[in-house]
Amino acid sequence: MEALGLKIKSLLLILAAVLLFAGLSPSAAQASPYEGYTYNYWGQAVKSPIAFLPSRAITGQEAGTGAWNAPTDIFISDEGLVYVLDSGNGRIVVLNSQWETVQEIKGFNNNGKEDGFKNPEGIFVTKKGQIYVADTENRRVVELNRDGSFVRELGAPKADVISESFEYFPRKVIVDKAGRIYVVGRGVYEGLIEFDIDGRFTGFMGTNRVQFDPIDLFWKTVATKEQREKLIRFIPLEFNNADVDEDGFIYTTTMDKSTLSAVKKLNPSGIDVLSMNADIPPIGDLSINRSSFIDIDVVDSGVYRALDSTRGRIFTYNEDGNLLYVIGQLGNQLGTFKNPVAVESYGDAIYVLDRDLGRITEFKATQFGSLVNHANQLYSSGKHDEAARLWQEVLRLDANYEMAYVGIGKSLLRQGEYKDAMTYLKLGNDREYYSKALGKYRREYMREYFGMYMTGVIALLVLIFGIRRFARSRKGGRVQDAVS
Amino acid sequence: MQFLKDIKYSLHVAMHPFDGFWDLKYENKGKLRVAVLMLFAVTVTMILKRQFAGYVVNFNFPLDLNSIDELKYIVLPFLLWCIANWSLTTLMDGEGKFTEIVIATGYAMLPLILVNIPNILLSNVITLRESSFYYLLDTLALLWFIWLLFIGTMTVHQYTVTKTITTMLLTLLVIGVIIFLGLLFFSLIQQIVSFAYTVYQELSLRG
Repeated sequence: MEALGLKIKSLLLILAAVLLFAGLSPSAAQASPYEGYTYNYWGQAVKSPIAFLPSRAITGQEAGTGAWNAPTDIFISDEGLVYVLDSGNGRIVVLNSQWETVQEIKGFNNNGKEDGFKNPEGIFVTKKGQIYVADTENRRVVELNRDGSFVRELGAPKADVISESFEYFPRKVIVDKAGRIYVVGRGVYEGLIEFDIDGRFTGFMGTNRVQFDPIDLFWKTVATKEQREKLIRFIPLEFNNADVDEDGFIYTTTMDKSTLSAVKKLNPSGIDVLSMNADIPPIGDLSINRSSFIDIDVVDSGVYRALDSTRGRIFTYNEDGNLLYVIGQLGNQLGTFKNPVAVESYGDAIYVLDRDLGRITEFKATQFGSLVNHANQLYSSGKHDEAARLWQEVLRLDANYEMAYVGIGKSLLRQGEYKDAMTYLKLGNDREYYSKALGKYRREYMREYFGMYMTGVIALLVLIFGIRRFARSRKGGRVQDAVS
Repeated sequence: MQFLKDIKYSLHVAMHPFDGFWDLKYENKGKLRVAVLMLFAVTVTMILKRQFAGYVVNFNFPLDLNSIDELKYIVLPFLLWCIANWSLTTLMDGEGKFTEIVIATGYAMLPLILVNIPNILLSNVITLRESSFYYLLDTLALLWFIWLLFIGTMTVHQYTVTKTITTMLLTLLVIGVIIFLGLLFFSLIQQIVSFAYTVYQELSLRG
């Protein structure tokens, strides 16, 4: 009887334990339409937690403006207003942060006559609220006031350096803090078209240099004239999008799939200053069919996101060119795209515009995403110790996140924990800082143990010397014996 | 004790190659088993180097490391060199026998062990800025090896300097030819096998 009672008791206990475990085990992760990954030092794709998840999406009907017809660009202003450039309908729709339509600009009064847009492709809003539209098919850039009233229009640039056959189709427009206007033109290989604050053409900037290839040169020299004409002509890369950051640096993208500088950061004199400390340049997916970036969005502290049209992914890089996370994919679910054309960030969210679906999707940072963002922000502002604590949290979620190891390693290095720093920097594959830590550790080690080792060496020398002396004296004695 | 003497002698060859290789050939001081041991030791050294060279100079992807691969990189080239050199020198009035070539090549590899083992230890305590020392030693080991190989070939075959250099370069060419023929041979064998298999399949399906 007692045995049976015990049996029941133990069974109950096991049941309780099982229930407890079931309750403790993490609930199934929220289903995501795409997988998170990054690339490790060796260029292998490594699974990583998903940094951003889709939270909501909106189409023209839901915004109460009628369907958006092939919208080509969005812009989110500092106060959180979403400017949607509804190209097919030639209008601008402005949504507030609750995604209610607050304004609709269908046309404007251009010096007495009604005017409108014709397939515009780019929109930019300055801090003061001035709206710039690249009115592509009308071959001009239009500036509007916040209320939609006309200010001015900028036509095709006129200068001696521009050939007669030049066709001006402005695709994207950005305005820097000083009021200079930069235009990305269709089929323009010379770089960005720059206008000064009064709208006068001042020149091209950030020209992509033609890459020199000795192999191509060899083939060119051996090829016949007919063959040479059949070869692809050498032309510089064409910019396809641009964004400007707080400090006036201009980030550009190019469609070209063969270049290693798909993203450029141009300083005011047009020189590419993008930091490439990372081992892999920011080119998106490391696959034979490379990513082609069609939009770029600068977030803050040097972080930028590039939108890839090949696979519909958004790659986020930090200022050193390290890939932080990848989100998005082509598909039919919420959070995937058919033809993504523009990416914007506001606060802790990412917004992507889909041209074919006429839809904006909002992505909110997951715990992992916001940890990485925050840690990276502290890290790039030099607060290594505070960042290290967050990197530890990141590692708890993703033990393969190399940047976290480097971040912790650098913090340990500053704290003088050289040996631990070496371990972490090795895990993060940062040879430069590993070597620094090694140098410091070596010096520390030698300072501590130099006396001990030196004593050992001297003792050993004395011992060897003594033994040899002893052996020689015995040998000498024997020789003497023999003689006598 | 004999073994220690052999090792000591191989060191003598590395330090005084003219003298050493001469005795190797004419005084019968070279041992085939020492040469084979040397080959084995070099292979082990290279495996150790790949695995244990300091992180600062070690760019190997750990998951790609495979000790069997060293057969491809060391043992196979060694055998190819010996065979190619022998095939060539028998046609070019070389005096060396195959065993002598193997022995000379084996003894010439000693610097690779002598320099690389301390170099592995050193690489673990150097920083990035000092890594050029590592590469310098690495290059020195290689040059020393080539120098010994050169003297060895010259002594074994009793060649002049220019003839030795031409022979060594031609040996590399012959290695290429051997590899080409080998690939051709295997490819043909594959075709024959697949042909035979197809015939068998055809017959068995009909019968």
